[in-house]
Amino acid sequence: MDGAPSTLDPAHASNIYASFLVVNLYDTLYRYKYLSRPYELTPNLATSMPQVSEDGLIYTIHLKPGVRFADDPAFSGGKGREVLAADFVYSIKRQFDPATRAQGAWLWQGRIVGLDEWKEDGSDYDKVIPGLRALDDHTVQIQLIAPFPQLTHTLAQASSAVVPREAVDYYGKEFPVHPVGSGPYRLSRFDSAGAVLLRNPQFRQEPFDLAAEGFDPKTQSRYGLQTLQGRVPPFADRIEVEFIAEDAARWNAFIAGETDFVKVPVSQFDQVLASREPPLLRKDLASRFHMAANLESGFVHTDFNMDDPRIGYNPDPAREHRNKALRCAIIKAFDWRQRNEVFYYGIGQVFPGIIPPITPEFDPDQDDSPIRRDVAAARKLLEENGWTAENLPTLEYGFPASVTERQMFEQLRSFLGDIGYPPEKVRPLTFATYGDYARAYLNREVMMATTGWTMDYPDAENTMQLFFGPNASPGSNVANYDNPEFNRLYRATSTMPRTPERTAMFREMNRTVIDDCATISGISRTLILLWRRDFAMLPDRAFVGGYFFRFAGIPTGPEEEPGR
Amino acid sequence: MRYVMRKLLQGLLLVLGVTLVSFALMVWFGPDQTYTLVGKNASAQQIEEVRRELGYHEPFAQRYADYLRELFTLDLGASNSSGERVSSIIGRTLPVTLALVLPGFVLGNLAGIALALAAAHYRGRWPDRLISLLSIAGMSISFLIVIIVFQVLLSTPYGLNLFPVRGWQVTDFTSYLRYVTVPTLALIFVTLGYNTRFYRAVFVEEAGREHIRAARAFGAPPAVILWKHVLKNSMLPILTRVMFSIPMVVVSGSLLIESYFGIPGVGKVTFDAITSGDQPVLKAVVGLTAIAFVFIQVLTDLLYRAVDPRVAR
Repeated sequence: MDGAPSTLDPAHASNIYASFLVVNLYDTLYRYKYLSRPYELTPNLATSMPQVSEDGLIYTIHLKPGVRFADDPAFSGGKGREVLAADFVYSIKRQFDPATRAQGAWLWQGRIVGLDEWKEDGSDYDKVIPGLRALDDHTVQIQLIAPFPQLTHTLAQASSAVVPREAVDYYGKEFPVHPVGSGPYRLSRFDSAGAVLLRNPQFRQEPFDLAAEGFDPKTQSRYGLQTLQGRVPPFADRIEVEFIAEDAARWNAFIAGETDFVKVPVSQFDQVLASREPPLLRKDLASRFHMAANLESGFVHTDFNMDDPRIGYNPDPAREHRNKALRCAIIKAFDWRQRNEVFYYGIGQVFPGIIPPITPEFDPDQDDSPIRRDVAAARKLLEENGWTAENLPTLEYGFPASVTERQMFEQLRSFLGDIGYPPEKVRPLTFATYGDYARAYLNREVMMATTGWTMDYPDAENTMQLFFGPNASPGSNVANYDNPEFNRLYRATSTMPRTPERTAMFREMNRTVIDDCATISGISRTLILLWRRDFAMLPDRAFVGGYFFRFAGIPTGPEEEPGR
Repeated sequence: MRYVMRKLLQGLLLVLGVTLVSFALMVWFGPDQTYTLVGKNASAQQIEEVRRELGYHEPFAQRYADYLRELFTLDLGASNSSGERVSSIIGRTLPVTLALVLPGFVLGNLAGIALALAAAHYRGRWPDRLISLLSIAGMSISFLIVIIVFQVLLSTPYGLNLFPVRGWQVTDFTSYLRYVTVPTLALIFVTLGYNTRFYRAVFVEEAGREHIRAARAFGAPPAVILWKHVLKNSMLPILTRVMFSIPMVVVSGSLLIESYFGIPGVGKVTFDAITSGDQPVLKAVVGLTAIAFVFIQVLTDLLYRAVDPRVAR
């Protein structure tokens, strides 16, 4: 992996690295089908999809009986006990206990009857929450304050994984490095360099069913997955995960055969790809490796701080109007083709607005003029609104100190130079660490901030909330964007299931953000994944994430001929 | 004994000074870990809760007093990032780092001394110039480049492919040699230039002294002069350099090596603590390093007396 998790506690599993391991050590009620694209939910610890009341407020979920936590000294006699509905209730409560320092509470905050009050009343685990109850040993009932159609998606997140209270009490503060779950693997080693997972011998016997996992013979037959049909996952006895943040070291380890799967560093794309459109693997590598070119489940965007009167909202309507023109001119000056070419090998997907291509709500036919560079139009906008080299505000562009970030800043400065923005008026605001940078932009101290959002579930609601007014910093709305019409539509859609009507509303919201020129957006990066041909698997960095470890195996039959 | 006690007392003041300055730097200039721990979409209330959990709301004096108590009772608390006890982290990672850097450290110094003796002996002639040139070249190349080149040359199919690119699955001496060889070679390559230049300067100065000229006049062979008179009389600066390098080598020297070779040592843990603002880990490393310096200082003074009786007089 190209990064390391600092803990393996589901309560802290808000990044991709932690999620990758957590979903293998613990069970979630739901997960995404291994092979189905678009992504589709399927029961995991639950017996079936939830029974939802007609008003969409009450979810009843049955757990599989007989599922056991892995043996651990935390349990009486060291033998893992059965996973019960009460464990799920406890695990969600932990997210709301300040002592846990949990990172997943936002998924359910203000959603479940009595949960926020439980926290305000002191997080007493013995107190019953009306909206989060174990009806019996194997039945969970969740009562919502208002319909929340994405609830089942949140129950496929690593944050919702089920932990046993005995283990949390037994290990105390060290629980995050002593995971005790009911997932397909157990932890053997975990440190700053890597982790070793061993097959959990007590994991439930559920034969692999290609059809149930959404297998598409047309596109997926080359991976040898058919040979795994009927076998019981997890297929690997041992998985060694190396945390290698350094691109060169990660690539060298893969080429030397020390690792079997790698997310290829962008710096190696030209050594790996024979063509870009579509991305094809070089022939000599194709005989040894499989490749997947996956669009990331998220996007990168540069937000204007709308709370900053120099560039965003301003009490003076005339200045506010001019600020908007300035932002729009900057967006028109931005050359997405160059950005993509220089930093993403030209294979990222640039799109207008905030609905990434990976979501079903994405409109492939939308007007792409917002991402087309138009220097003349930008100059004209500045001129029409009275902006000159003398009165343009000094732009402060924030970023954590790194060579790539600095290069991106210099590229932006050069784009702006083309529309007459004096270079000395485009200033870098560097921060020693990402934490310092995050503190600055969450405290609204950065005029322009570039951030990436990794989606939690494949639903554009997850990116729409990034521009919802009440989510302003320190929430996820880094732009501090606050458009009443956008907010109204967000509120209206937040309780709606996925329908053409909701999709139309999302697209309208997308246009609003584009028209307001609140963000320079965006690009979804293409990730090149390589793995040895003698492994039958289909890795994924998006919503399936670490779940694919469960299904990674050695094929037992003849392989398909080399392909993409 | 009184001498040792006096040194230890001075050391205590040193530890207090170092910990106070470093803790002030951590608190006022170090990263605020709150914002990496809150996760996505945090509310102001959650940020405040995390700040309180981290103890950021406590007055500085209180926090510093807690730090000293933790240090002197060796109850170092738990990492804010992982929850793991700091004593466990150090106990787990320090032996790995020592096993990793000691061969390179020892061999780098021995080779540096040998080359420096040769350079001093042939001062101004081509062997001296060649050694100086290579030393400067070695010092000029970035450690990072050296690591990558050694990895590629020795551990990948592009080169000899003799050793693992990375990792530390050490179970016996043979596996230890497999994993430690390339990092050791990289470490020697990088430190050799600095060591050789330093020791050469020491030896050249020593070789110009009157007693060396007297030895030459008595007809002592060059090997005896170098070994018995130059090297032996240069032991004080050698000891100083070697002893005071130890904490630096352990904590900071291993950082790049551990990162690039995927070795779970104390350098990587320290670096992660610095960049993330994990104060319990950082406080422990800084405090224990300061204490190590004090003991090394005392030990070095005692060694001075052993190798040069004039010091004791």
